[in-house]
Amino acid sequence: MKIENTKAQMRKGVLEFCILSVLKNDDAYVAEILSTLKDAKLLVVEGTIYPLLTRLKNAGLLNYRWEESTSGPPRKYYGLTETGKLFLKELDTTWNELQNAVNIVTNHTETSTAQKTTTNE
Amino acid sequence: MNKTVNINLAGIFFHIDEDAYLKLQRYLEAIKRSFTDSQGRSEIIADIEARIAELFNERVQNTKQVIGISQVDEVISIMGQPEDYLVDDEIFEDEPKTNYKTNTTPSKKLFRDTDNSYIGGVSSGLAHYFGVDAIWIRLAWILLIFGAGTGVLLYILLWILVPEAKTTAEKIMMAGEPVNISNIEKKIKDGFDNVTGTVTDVAKNVSDSVSGAAKNVSDAAKKVDFKKQTNKVKSSSSAFFDTIGEIFMFFFKVFAKFIGLLLTFIGAVTIIALIIAFFSVGILDMIPGNFSHFLNAGNTPIWLASLFGLFAVGVPFFFLFYLGLKILINNLKSIGNVAKFTLLGVWLISVIGLTVIVINEAREHAFTETYTVKHTLNIKSNDTLRIKMASNDIIDNRFNRNGSFKIINTKNGSKTMYNSDVNLIVRSTTDSTAFINLKKRADGSDYDKAINRAKNINYNYNLNNNTLLLDSFLTTEIDNKFGDQEVEIILYLPEGSFAKFHTNTESFLGYYKNSSDIVSANNTNHLLKIIEDDVTCLDCTDTEDDFNVNIDVDNEASKVKINNKGIEIKDDDVNIKIDNKGILSEDNDVKVKIDANGIEVKSKDN
Repeated sequence: MKIENTKAQMRKGVLEFCILSVLKNDDAYVAEILSTLKDAKLLVVEGTIYPLLTRLKNAGLLNYRWEESTSGPPRKYYGLTETGKLFLKELDTTWNELQNAVNIVTNHTETSTAQKTTTNE
Repeated sequence: MNKTVNINLAGIFFHIDEDAYLKLQRYLEAIKRSFTDSQGRSEIIADIEARIAELFNERVQNTKQVIGISQVDEVISIMGQPEDYLVDDEIFEDEPKTNYKTNTTPSKKLFRDTDNSYIGGVSSGLAHYFGVDAIWIRLAWILLIFGAGTGVLLYILLWILVPEAKTTAEKIMMAGEPVNISNIEKKIKDGFDNVTGTVTDVAKNVSDSVSGAAKNVSDAAKKVDFKKQTNKVKSSSSAFFDTIGEIFMFFFKVFAKFIGLLLTFIGAVTIIALIIAFFSVGILDMIPGNFSHFLNAGNTPIWLASLFGLFAVGVPFFFLFYLGLKILINNLKSIGNVAKFTLLGVWLISVIGLTVIVINEAREHAFTETYTVKHTLNIKSNDTLRIKMASNDIIDNRFNRNGSFKIINTKNGSKTMYNSDVNLIVRSTTDSTAFINLKKRADGSDYDKAINRAKNINYNYNLNNNTLLLDSFLTTEIDNKFGDQEVEIILYLPEGSFAKFHTNTESFLGYYKNSSDIVSANNTNHLLKIIEDDVTCLDCTDTEDDFNVNIDVDNEASKVKINNKGIEIKDDDVNIKIDNKGILSEDNDVKVKIDANGIEVKSKDN
């Protein structure tokens, strides 16, 4: 069991959710999505995103339109479909629950260790 | 200076260096292979190409600038290695993917197939490796186990040395398929449950292609024909030579494997033999020349010398064995530097130890000293002395002179060693009585030790009724250790006396007479008269002068006579006579006569 693998698994698990979230308010093309995710340090290499985007699109959660670019090739602008929005909502709830759950678990152990230290004092 | 290539990436035109182009092409190819059509491969690739085009676009200021290998490397590091594209099923696999640069390892490797194992998966691993069904390998093991038990040892060795196929990549290598993303993915898609099924299928394919070496040749020949027809002479000849090269490589590999097998076999057999010898007789007993006795003098325990011997000989053979295995098995687990250097160290210590022992032993033989005892024997001229060797019921030897020591338990429980290095020399003397000189001789590291050792030799003889009984052996206490102890008996007999040597003295007498040594092995069992510096044989017969056969049967009527005149057989009605006159055969009816006058045949009826 390697720590890198576990980390990668954790990150990859939330990646789809994050991609949908980036597109929640505005359509974006791949480079924009990438820069957001890379700024958040969710992505290390860009390659990971392409199969994910294609899969989300094939699942009917995303659609795209082409737009000409002044510099470089034409860009694919991705946006959420209606199902995508519902999907995102669902994931949002799940994420909040999950976050809560993780918070409770981690905080509980933290407070308990804190209590232990106070009693020790 | 570099050649450049023009490419079209997502509709954008780029100049790119040739080496950079090849790298980019390989990269895209690897990515392509990591996806299946069902995942929307073409679309993903199009997107990736578009992104790469974008990234390149950011890196060139004007259209004339050429993209080099550094830019390609930069883009690849941004995009990530092909493994990073695999986001779905494989993320729950613990083992990291093998680097795609090592993807195209074409050779099959030996692993233990624990998915199909009975014990350690050695057999099924070997089955994959040789492309046969595992049942044959298992049968071979069973035969080997019933053979000499070497199978067990070999199995355990392979179990230790051959790694287990744990990852998908290793399982693919085990089957001999090149490891690339598509193969890995195929494995994963097939599911782990039937991984082994596909592995055996693949193994079959591979074995088909490997074993059909002759087929390759004919295929190549076909290729040549086909290409000749299309007038591509150049490429056909290169294909032909490629094939020749392949054939050579194939035979070379077979030869190498054969050598490997030979080395492994020699190594294993020697090591097993050494170990058996070490535990049964001690290594150095196997070397001719009675080394174990040789060791006694220097106070070196035999087990230590044996241990040194075991390692001094065994370690090189172990490396030989290991080398053979390494040739046989491509990815043999290394025994590790620690083990290697430990073995090397043990070997060096053993060799040094053996050298020290040998020097120590050799020193023990630096001095040879003789201790002489003289006894008078009551034998005068005209007396007859019989000389005979004697052994006793404890020391039973066959009257052969032999310098090697044996150890026996004497009646009072102590241990004694003995040998039969007894040399009998006979000389004539002008003294009136006979006497005997006993020379006891031994080696030692200095004079005192040698002479002490010589004095401690026990040797007995006995004169009884004019019969001299000489012990055929010498004994010494075991504490005296081996120091080449020997006894020389010089028997001086007065001139004019008589002697008869029993045949059992033969081995102890010299085989040839020399100046003062008057009796040799040839003179035994004869009555000898001692004269000045020589003997004469009194009952020897000279075969050249005498006609020895003299049979004379004489009855009333019949007669058989063989003497120096000839042969004569006579009966009532038969007379056969062979003599210097001729041959005569006569009975009641016929007379045959061959003599100087000719041949005469006469029938009495006529």
